[in-house]
Amino acid sequence: MSADNSKESAAAWMLALDDQHRAVVGERELIHLVERPTLLEVPLSPYYCRQAMLWNDLLLPALDLAAWLHGQVGNGHQKLTGIVAYQSGQNVSYGALLLADIPERVQISDSQACPLPEYPSNWDQLAISCFRQGEKPIPILDLPYLFGGGLLLH
Amino acid sequence: MNGPSRIALAALRQNRAFAKLIMDGCTWLLPHTEIGSLESTLDIDHEVQVPHSIGAIALGGEWWSVYCLSGELQPLPQIPNSRRTCALLDNGIDRFGLVCDQVEMLTEAPRLLALPACMGLPDSPIQALALLDDRLGCVTTAEHLAARLATLAALAENNDER
Repeated sequence: MSADNSKESAAAWMLALDDQHRAVVGERELIHLVERPTLLEVPLSPYYCRQAMLWNDLLLPALDLAAWLHGQVGNGHQKLTGIVAYQSGQNVSYGALLLADIPERVQISDSQACPLPEYPSNWDQLAISCFRQGEKPIPILDLPYLFGGGLLLH
Repeated sequence: MNGPSRIALAALRQNRAFAKLIMDGCTWLLPHTEIGSLESTLDIDHEVQVPHSIGAIALGGEWWSVYCLSGELQPLPQIPNSRRTCALLDNGIDRFGLVCDQVEMLTEAPRLLALPACMGLPDSPIQALALLDDRLGCVTTAEHLAARLATLAALAENNDER
């Protein structure tokens, strides 16, 4: 990769939310993978975040974004969680995303920017932007919004 | 965690003793001081009802309305066979009973954890979570349960009017 290209492109992780839907987080946002995590049920929680997990002595919400996109409780087919870190005010906070497969490292650049997928129509509540890889638009997740409770407003 | 939640969590951490109320496998924790009494469900008078209660228990010259909720705090029309104990909750303002599968007093104060921001539905009675063995308990108070009962009653009235 040339020096000029490295200024324009950035490394990221492409996440499999289920067998159909992909999304991306920044290279430094995904910090750990947990295979077959122990998930703890939380009553009265939203259908897309019914469970939490302990990680490094922290209780992390486990977001099932595929459930959100489908508008119903997930099928529990995801066997992985990706631990993500994001800026929350002055602090770094952590959360967990349910994943269907091992993340794939990708390079993205501004030249690949594109509109969000039209279907499902609720991608705009999850993503800050989108890029095209091949023919597919891949949304970039807005982690502070998701874990900060932004989806509760919808 | 926002400001009011942090204050509520700090206040709950002042409690050294909690009661564990189990309903449908879900564990709810309340400050021990809010458990007025434990009674048998056999003592419930089903003829004495207010809207959405299943009856009442007479104690200390007063009727305590008794409610039957699922583990997710939804009203149940009938008492499941597993519900043998009625916890009478009393915080000095709110007084009511809740039928439970089991009620225990915790011998040690659990470590209270904040409910993650993205898990707190509006009007959620959950004020904190506590790790108990291999599961989570939901920490609440009689005040928040009373508010939940009032919300459920208002929802039922709205549905009846439609």
